[in-house]
Amino acid sequence: MSIIKQSGESRLPVLMLFVTGTAPRSQRARTNIAKMLEQLNCTDIQPYEIDLLEQPEQGIKHSVFATPSLLKVSPTGGVSVLYGDLSEEDRLRRFLSDLDPDQ
Amino acid sequence: MSEKETKLQKLKTGIIGLDNITGGGLPSGQVTLLLGQAAAGKTVLSLQILARAIERGEGGVFVTFEESPAQVKRDAASFSWGVHLQESDRWQLIDARPRFNTEAAGEFDIEGLLSIVAATIAKTRATWVVFDGIDQLLQYQPDPRVAIDQVRLINEYCENNGWTLLLSGKAIGDSMAPAHLEGIEYLLSATLVLSARLVNQQLNRSLRISKFRGSGHLADELPMIIDDEGIQLPYHEHLPVDEVIASNERLSTGIKRLDKLLDGGIYRGSSLLISGRPGTAKSTLAGSFAQTAALRGERTLYVSFDEMEAPYVRNLASVGIKLRAHIEAGLIRFEDLSAYSLRVTEHFLILRRLLDSFDPHCLVIDPVSALYKASGTEGASMATEHLIDLVRRRGITTVLTSLSGIDDPEGESTLGQVSTLADSWIVLDYNVRGGERNRSLSIVKSRGSAHSNQERELLLSGDGIYLADVYEHGSEVLMGTARATREREEATAERRRQLKRKQRLLDIERRMELVERERQTLAAELELEKEESAETDRLERIQRQQIKQRRDPEKNNPPLHPASDEGGLS
Repeated sequence: MSIIKQSGESRLPVLMLFVTGTAPRSQRARTNIAKMLEQLNCTDIQPYEIDLLEQPEQGIKHSVFATPSLLKVSPTGGVSVLYGDLSEEDRLRRFLSDLDPDQ
Repeated sequence: MSEKETKLQKLKTGIIGLDNITGGGLPSGQVTLLLGQAAAGKTVLSLQILARAIERGEGGVFVTFEESPAQVKRDAASFSWGVHLQESDRWQLIDARPRFNTEAAGEFDIEGLLSIVAATIAKTRATWVVFDGIDQLLQYQPDPRVAIDQVRLINEYCENNGWTLLLSGKAIGDSMAPAHLEGIEYLLSATLVLSARLVNQQLNRSLRISKFRGSGHLADELPMIIDDEGIQLPYHEHLPVDEVIASNERLSTGIKRLDKLLDGGIYRGSSLLISGRPGTAKSTLAGSFAQTAALRGERTLYVSFDEMEAPYVRNLASVGIKLRAHIEAGLIRFEDLSAYSLRVTEHFLILRRLLDSFDPHCLVIDPVSALYKASGTEGASMATEHLIDLVRRRGITTVLTSLSGIDDPEGESTLGQVSTLADSWIVLDYNVRGGERNRSLSIVKSRGSAHSNQERELLLSGDGIYLADVYEHGSEVLMGTARATREREEATAERRRQLKRKQRLLDIERRMELVERERQTLAAELELEKEESAETDRLERIQRQQIKQRRDPEKNNPPLHPASDEGGLS
């Protein structure tokens, strides 16, 4: 709830990246999402990072049990999730398509 | 730690049958794979294990990847042990279903999941963890090998943290691994396979331990039942029983002459099989036994397959066996069951529960052969065998009847096992002769008793059952009118023989009388003869004297008698 409020004004989706510490796939996901946001000229968006090793209850709260996972809460409240280290660029791009200012 | 590794520890599941066949439960601190097709009972088994753990004061975590938490709770609520899950906060239900619009863009880890579970376990002091349908999560893994690695990771995590985990997954076809997870069965130390198959339009469930590393176990496919009590393995739920005592007490069958033939009745705690064709009075004999038990004040569980209580009791009343009063007094519990309606294993379970709840001294099943009509892959022999074993362990005296075929009066072809297992075996039959059917009874076997091998005639009347002596005619046994006729003829002949003998004695006596009379006559004659000859002698002497006197009168020859009339003669 607090997250939506944070960005409520911007009319932009909120991104949350669920990771587990410094696990290699989590590290790759951090790099991959940063790269993609740069490509999409969305550097003002910072994924909100949740480490399930530190905050396991957040996993239950958001129903995310795989790490890394990218969770997107759209301004209308819709939630979608993308599992994995985000190495498949096309999928990631499609997932983030509503961030693209050109669309 | 090293001791833990060398010796397999087991954790009780609380499902008696499962604990029995595994020798104490599933591997503690490890993952057990629970495989089965949809609706084979995987979720029920997991929930039941959790419920039993909670009942014992332990805790559990259930992670559902497929069903909604509400559905899982509804599942649990439909079973008798569901209350333990409804009211308790010692278990946590984690909804780990992937969201609807989930996609994957690369490989992922499950450490996050394990971290979540670890945090929950800390809260609930859980002994059991269930991952129900983890294939729903792992199917998003682009590379199946990564998914398998993650199962291995779960297993290591369990070993390191002492979790006992049930990992369930859907099996496709005969595969020994859940979809998307082919190969994990080799990683895990134990695998249970549940199956549900349709046989003769009825669902046959079974459970099999396909793998249990480092432990002896029963490897067969075992009949399983899911009912209000949840999952059960009816044939493997024997609680250890004290040594069975062989009683010397004889129980009456209610038929005096039959008891006599059986050397006093049947032993308490033994089993009697009564087999025969339709209408040979099997039920009558069984009813007589139950009535006699009730008159002793003992409880009898009376199970009738396919015949309803009211007509059954009425029919027995017509031959003087009155069960109604005993049923009302609670000494006889009459249960009419329909053989067709349930599977053999379910019948067995029902009977066992009735035995548990009613705790009878005696049991009658009329007829046990009806079980052969019930469907089930496991077969009726198994059920009857287990049943006989069960009642024997509990010391319940049992009468089983068995319907045999028209061409096979002893029914040996269909009831091989039962007749072997039963301690005593009575065969009822009828002989057709001279236009009538007469019931006969013979004792085929009676363990531990001297018993008559003679066939008897069984007579039913308004006030009971009687055994009649049969008439042996040469090598044949005569019954009914033939016996009666024969008996009458025999009696007449006997009477005649006796008369004859009497006649002969009388004859002799009469002859003796005659002879005696003759002797008396002769004796009289003899007397007369003697008297006459004496007189003759005297007269001759007198004559000789007279002659002498006449020849020589000088000589003083005094007369023999001084009778003057003698002189007158001369």
